[in-house]
Amino acid sequence: MNTQFITIFRALSFILLALALCSLIFIAAGFSAFELFESIINGAFLRNGAMKHALRWAAPLFITSIGVIISFRAGYFNIGAQGQFYIGAIFAAFTAEWLNGSPAFIVVPACFMAGALGGALWALWPGLLRLKSGADEVITTLMGNFLASLILIYVTGGPLKDPSGSGQQASSRPLDAAYRIGNSYELSPTIIMIAISLGLIMWVLANRTAFGVVSGLAGRNATMVEWQGAKLMSVGLASFLISGGLAGIAGTVELMGPNGRLAAGFLPAHGFTAILIALVANLSIAGAAVAALFFGGLASAALYLPVMSGLPASAIEIINAAIALFITAKSKFLDMFFSLGSIKWKK
Amino acid sequence: MIKSDENIFECKNITVSFGAVHALQDVSVAFERGKIHAVVGQNGAGKTTFARVVAGLIRPSAGEMTVNNKTMPGGDVKQARKAGVELVHQSFALPPSFTVAEAMQFGAGSGKIYSRKSLKRFWQKHLDKLEVKVKSSERIKNLPVETQQAVEIARALISDAKFLILDEPTAVLSPETTQKLFVRVRQLKQSGVTVILVLHKLKEVLDIADTVTVLRGGKLVQSPLNCEGIDREKLSAMIIGENANQNLASSNKGSLRPETQQDAVLDVQSLSTIKDVEGAALDDVSLTIAAGEIVGVAGIEGNGQRTLVRAIADMVNLKSGEIHLNGQNMTQMSHLERRSKGLRIIPFERNVEGLSSSSSLWENWSIRKYLQKPTFSFIKPKQDRAACDSGLKKWDVRYTNVDQLAGSLSGGNAQKVILSREMDADAKLIIAAQPTRGLDIGATDFVWHSLRQARDNGSGILFISSDLDEIFDISDRIIVFLSGQLVGEFTPPFDIKEIGAAMIGADL
Repeated sequence: MNTQFITIFRALSFILLALALCSLIFIAAGFSAFELFESIINGAFLRNGAMKHALRWAAPLFITSIGVIISFRAGYFNIGAQGQFYIGAIFAAFTAEWLNGSPAFIVVPACFMAGALGGALWALWPGLLRLKSGADEVITTLMGNFLASLILIYVTGGPLKDPSGSGQQASSRPLDAAYRIGNSYELSPTIIMIAISLGLIMWVLANRTAFGVVSGLAGRNATMVEWQGAKLMSVGLASFLISGGLAGIAGTVELMGPNGRLAAGFLPAHGFTAILIALVANLSIAGAAVAALFFGGLASAALYLPVMSGLPASAIEIINAAIALFITAKSKFLDMFFSLGSIKWKK
Repeated sequence: MIKSDENIFECKNITVSFGAVHALQDVSVAFERGKIHAVVGQNGAGKTTFARVVAGLIRPSAGEMTVNNKTMPGGDVKQARKAGVELVHQSFALPPSFTVAEAMQFGAGSGKIYSRKSLKRFWQKHLDKLEVKVKSSERIKNLPVETQQAVEIARALISDAKFLILDEPTAVLSPETTQKLFVRVRQLKQSGVTVILVLHKLKEVLDIADTVTVLRGGKLVQSPLNCEGIDREKLSAMIIGENANQNLASSNKGSLRPETQQDAVLDVQSLSTIKDVEGAALDDVSLTIAAGEIVGVAGIEGNGQRTLVRAIADMVNLKSGEIHLNGQNMTQMSHLERRSKGLRIIPFERNVEGLSSSSSLWENWSIRKYLQKPTFSFIKPKQDRAACDSGLKKWDVRYTNVDQLAGSLSGGNAQKVILSREMDADAKLIIAAQPTRGLDIGATDFVWHSLRQARDNGSGILFISSDLDEIFDISDRIIVFLSGQLVGEFTPPFDIKEIGAAMIGADL
């Protein structure tokens, strides 16, 4: 329990440090840091209905982030969640188009399966390249993100193009209302249920299956696992596929829920925020639920800020960037501080 | 007697201690100018330490070195270089992505500004002069190992070295390329360079060296002795200690199989492997291990012991041959299937191959069981933690709780975790690879005791160690590996001279 407490304390400290850095930037830019933070907290969590909006953004982020956690735990830095998210949404959109007219109880599950398949496929090739020939998955999955963005532009401007569109942003035809599992103005219980059940399944996978323990060991010391006779191929590939599949499901959720259609370049930071959530949560599934709520709140605050208080939404991006900076920097000083702290606590 | 003015390099009473261990003790040698000197000895005799002291990489705790009667301060590479002493390391340190010219410039270490073209031209001239046939624009990683070595030697010779030390230069070379190296070394001798070769194969010593210096257990056994009039028997006696037996018999060679074939837990038949980066390939190795038998593997490290273990564990590609476990052909079986049939491995590197240091004890302990299940099957962590707890307690592992990281245990305790994981009731064949390396006497004793107990319970044990005393102590039978071949098989009473001779190829 002690170590968990330290983990939480650590994540909070990183966030506080990041916010301290942000307030300096805000002040330098001529804003009142206090006013900004007040508006952000207000917009994210306190104002009427804020929690609903936070949840709306948190649910898909959570789904993608638990996928990221599965691959990171196995030692594979799949940073292609964004691309897998797009390809998942594209597969789902094609499926909806193809099955258009069929009853919803067929179309909706089919779209989810297609979305998971699309995301998994977009993680499959970097996974194979990594495991067969050792190609660095950081590079390949990153490239995969750009490719997926371009494919999305092509699809929304080509095969799935909405002819009645304004021309400002290429997008697909809106989904038939019968197939929507949520909308942009109220919270969808279906989406929350999907997120919770996927979270539970992944928690069981990580903590209560042989796969969870073996992939965790392989992530920290692959040589040892090989000397125990494991073939890293199957464990590694499974991590890639699960990771991509979850991002694909998140893409499907966005398509069939709040968005209702595919638009070129929609939610361009989704996958990266999910990685941030995974890191802030220290690769714990339960931690990711909390972290997703926090970042979901920030995302909804980004919409609220300019409208309600006339403050720039980019403040949220600065906060995200600062947290990323601190969480990835692994400050030596902080680690020293925490190791000292843990010794004290033990006594 | 050697007259002192002829000596180019003299070491007086060199002692090197690491804590309480003396790597070198009171070694005095004088190397004559313009000759090829060999330094030989068993593993741990202090050869490499000696080479590193001479090159200024290690400061001796006592003693003095002089070059041409001028004192050279110890532990100072720059001073050693200035005095014309250069070392070519056992495993060379050329950056693989550099071109030959860049790597040589990097090693030469002068801070001058240069153009790529001038660099290329400069080093090409140098290489040509030394008849190293390589383009200076070639990348290191694309060169065969013997050419890399030649480049390294050429680099060492740029600063006008008078005195070149090669640390086990033949360890990475095939027999033909070894001959090429020797040709080069003779050329160097002709041009007036004094060469010191650290070697461990007698044949090579007698082939190339003018004098030989023998180290044993960090002490000097024989200061430069003229190689003329010396034979293998004499030399191997000096290396191993005591007086050599008159007939260094090869009569024990060949396969000595247990009487009843069906009793064999391991039966390896003419196994050959495809060479890879991790060590010597096996060449037509046949061996059997009976139930209730400890077979010790002796041999200088890197002569195929590791490959043998990897072959039995399905971690290396076979060229030919068969592996049987308990009378069942398992040549085509995966490592996991072999484990399910009773194969257990205590790997060479405890903290790399044996345990994941940054994972908890119970995960490290449970992985063997988990891998025998389907990948996505459920586990009961609570039960497995308890099982781990009682398992580790039985083996007297000292720890606070099973969620503790494996890296927080001492070497002996970490090894006990591995033992308790690998030496269960179903273990039929236990491979113990360097199981006592780095352990103190108490922990070592514990490992021996456990292995003996497993043997008495009917397991067959393959025991690999670089410590001959230990092998003699524990083995029921000893096999000797040299260059990937099984070159000798011995039954008690063991004769250290015979086995030692087989290890260094003296009876070939």
